[in-house]
Amino acid sequence: MSFLRKYAALAWISARSNFAYAGEVGGRLMFLSVILFIFMCVWKAAFANAGQDRFAGYSLDEIIWYLALTECIMMSSPRVTALIDEDVRTGAIAVQLVRPLSYPLYRLASNFGEQTVKFASTALVAVAIAWVLGGPPSNFGTGAMMVLIALPMAFVLDFLGYMLIGLGAFWLEDTTGLMLIYSRLTMIAGGMLMPLDLFPEPVQAILNALPFGYIVCGPARLLVHPDWVSLVSLLWHQLFWVVVMGTAVALVYRLALNRIALNGG
Amino acid sequence: MRHAVEVENLRKVYEVKKRRGFKSVKSEVVSVNNVSFSVPEGQALAFVGPNGAGKSTTIRMLTGILTPTSGEARVLGYTPWKDRAKMAFHIGAVFGQRSQLWYHLPAGDTFDLLAKIYNLDKFDYRRRRAELVERFDLGPFLDIPVRRLSLGQRMRAEVAASLLHGPRLILLDEPTIGLDIHARQQLRELIRDWNRREGLTVFLTSHDTGDIESVAERVMIINHGRLVLDETVDSLRKRNTGRSLEDALAHIYGLEMHQAVVL
Amino acid sequence: MWKKLANYLDLVYSYFGFNLKAKLEYRGAFICQVTAMFVNDCIWLAYFVMVFDHYPVVPGWTSADVATLWAVTAAGFGIAHCLFGNTLELARIIAMGGLDVWLLYPRALLPHLVLGKMSASSLGDALFGYAVYILFLRPDWQHLLLFTVLTISVAVLFLGFSVLSGSLSFYLGNSETLSESWRNALIAFSTYPLDLFDGKVRLLLFTVIPAAFVSGYPVEALRKMSLVDAWYSLLGASLVLAVSIVVFHHGLRRYESGNMVAMRG
Repeated sequence: MSFLRKYAALAWISARSNFAYAGEVGGRLMFLSVILFIFMCVWKAAFANAGQDRFAGYSLDEIIWYLALTECIMMSSPRVTALIDEDVRTGAIAVQLVRPLSYPLYRLASNFGEQTVKFASTALVAVAIAWVLGGPPSNFGTGAMMVLIALPMAFVLDFLGYMLIGLGAFWLEDTTGLMLIYSRLTMIAGGMLMPLDLFPEPVQAILNALPFGYIVCGPARLLVHPDWVSLVSLLWHQLFWVVVMGTAVALVYRLALNRIALNGG
Repeated sequence: MRHAVEVENLRKVYEVKKRRGFKSVKSEVVSVNNVSFSVPEGQALAFVGPNGAGKSTTIRMLTGILTPTSGEARVLGYTPWKDRAKMAFHIGAVFGQRSQLWYHLPAGDTFDLLAKIYNLDKFDYRRRRAELVERFDLGPFLDIPVRRLSLGQRMRAEVAASLLHGPRLILLDEPTIGLDIHARQQLRELIRDWNRREGLTVFLTSHDTGDIESVAERVMIINHGRLVLDETVDSLRKRNTGRSLEDALAHIYGLEMHQAVVL
Repeated sequence: MWKKLANYLDLVYSYFGFNLKAKLEYRGAFICQVTAMFVNDCIWLAYFVMVFDHYPVVPGWTSADVATLWAVTAAGFGIAHCLFGNTLELARIIAMGGLDVWLLYPRALLPHLVLGKMSASSLGDALFGYAVYILFLRPDWQHLLLFTVLTISVAVLFLGFSVLSGSLSFYLGNSETLSESWRNALIAFSTYPLDLFDGKVRLLLFTVIPAAFVSGYPVEALRKMSLVDAWYSLLGASLVLAVSIVVFHHGLRRYESGNMVAMRG
C-alpha cells in the first residue's frame, strides 16, 4: 500500500512542479480563445454584410481553421533574439565561439526542439477551439499531413529571420524594438491575420515577393486547401529563401565575429 | 523621559497550511509570542536574533506593515498599523540589501525626489541636504549615477537619504553588509555620531557584532518569538569576559526555548 | 482637498521627470523602444484600414473611424502606462514582497506605488495616438478637445484595470501570467469596433473586459461629437478605477494580516 502511495505522491509532486507549465498552457488557451473568437466575429460580419459565401475561395469555416493554424505557428515562434541578446551581453557567447560555425547551428537545433514542442502543445488547444467554432474541416487528414511536411523549413526560415535580428545585439544597445517590428511584419505580411489571397491584388504581389508568407500562410493554407502542386511550389520557395537568409546570416555572423576580434567583446 | 517605542504583549500568530501527501493541514504558528519592551528616545538599540526568530515580524509590526494578532505598540506616539503614513514622516529606514536610491541616476536626484515625497519645505530641504552632504562626505560623487559608485559610497548616500526628512527614529537593517573594513568603520562612526549628537533613536538589526559593539548601547535578542535577552552592551561584555561578543551571542542564539531565559 | 490633489499631481510630475531621466541614461535603447512601438502601431493601423476598406466588416465605418479607434485606444493606454507604469509590475511586486518598501513612505500606498516606473513603449503608443488623430483626422478644436478628454478617460480605465488585474496576486499567489493574459484580452477587444460583438459577449465587454469604455463609447463620442457617449465613457472609466481601488485595498488588508505571506524570518 505504501508503495502505491509513494508513487502517487511522486506523480502528484511532478504534476505540481509542472503547474507553472500548466499555467502557461492555460494562459495560451485563454489568449487563443479570445483571439480566434474575435477573428470569427470579424469575418462572420464581413461575410454576412457582403452577402457572400466565399472570399477568394475561402469559406468562413476555412478561414477559422486557417487562422487557428497561423496562430499556432506564430505563438510557437522562438525567443531566439532575446536569447542571443542575452548570450552576447552575459558573454556566454564566448564559450560557443571557440568553434565558430557551431554557434548558429547550436541555436538552430535548440530552437527547433523548442518550437516543435510549443507548436504541438498550442496546436492541440487550437484544433480544439477551431473545432468548436468552425466544425471539422474537410480533408483534414491530407491537409494535416501536408502541413507537417511544410513546417520544418518554415521553422528554419522563421529562425533565420530572428537570428538575423538577434545578431544585431552585437551592434545595437537593445534589440527588443527591432524584434517587435520584425515579428509584426511576419504576422501581417506572413498572413497570420488572413490568407494572402484575401489581400488586395497589388499588395499580394508585394507580399509574395517576401519570405514571410512561406513561413505562415503557405503551410497554413494547405490545411484547408490541400493541393500537391501548391505544396511543391511552397517547398521550392522555402528552399530559395532558406538559402538566401542562410547566406545573410552567415555573412552577418562573420562580421559579428570580426567585431568581437576588434573590440575584445 | 519620552519613549520612542513602547511595546506591550505584542503577539503575532500565523495560519499555516501544510501539505501532507494529499491533505492540507491547518496549523497555527506563533511568530511573536507576547513581546514587551520600551525604548527611550535617543537610544541606540541592536535588535537581533537568528533567522526565523520573529525579528522581522516584530519590525514589520513596528513599521506598520503588519497588523498584530494582539497586543499594543506605540512608535513615536503613533500606533504603527493605524497611522502608518503619518508615522512615516518621522521614521527613516535603510536596508542593506535593498536600495531606495535610483540605480541609474545620481544620488542627488533621489534626494530631490525624496524632498517631494516627504513634502519638505524648499529651504529646509536645501539646508538639510547641504548639511548631510558635508557630514557624510558625499560631495565628490553626488552627481555620479549610483550604479557607478562603490558600495561604501552607496551606503553612505543611502543612510544620508534616510535622514533627509529629519526622522526621530531610524531603522537600519544590515547596513554594513558587504562593505570593506574602512567603509564599515566610516559608516558606523557616522551613525554613532548622528545618534549621540542629534538624539536620533537607532534601531539596528545586524548579524555583524562589530556593528553592535560600535553603534549600540543596548542589545535585545529575540528567539523563538520571545525576548531572551535585554541588556546593555557594556553589561553583556562584562558578563562574558574571556569570550568574544560574537561567541556570547551565538551561544544565546543556540539555546532551545526552554533553556533560554524568558523575559 | 484641492490642495491634496495639487500636491499629488506635483508628485506625478516629479516621478515622470525622474523616470524619464533614468530612461535617458540609455538613450539609444529608449529611443529604439519608443520608435519601435510607434512603427508597430502604424503597421497595425495600416493593416486594419486596408481590411476595413476592402471588406464590409462594419457597414458605415470608414478608415477615419478605424483611425479614431486606434488613436483613442493607443493614446489612452500610452498615457496610463507612461505615467503609471508600475501597475504593470504590480502582480510581481505583491508576490515578491515588494510592497513593504513602499509602505515605509509617508504616502497613501497605491497612488504612490503606481508612479514608480515608466513604460518606454507606452510613450510610443501615446505619441502614435496623438500623431494619428492630429495628422490623419485633422480635427477642429472641438474634436481635439473632446479627444484629449477621452484619452484621459481611457487612461483612467487602463490604470484601474491594470491595478485590478495586478491585485490578483493578493489572492492567487504569483498571478503574473494570468494578469497579463487578462490585460491582453482587454487590449485585443479594444482594437475592434464594439458593434462586431453582440449578446453575451457584449455583456462581457461592459463588465469583466470593459472594452466598451475604450473602443465603444469614446469612439462613438468622437464620430458623432456626442457628449452623452463621452459622459458614459467617463462614468465607465471611473467605475473601473473605483472597483480596482476597493479590490486592491481588500487584498492589502489580507497582506497586512500576514496570512498571504509566507513567513520570512
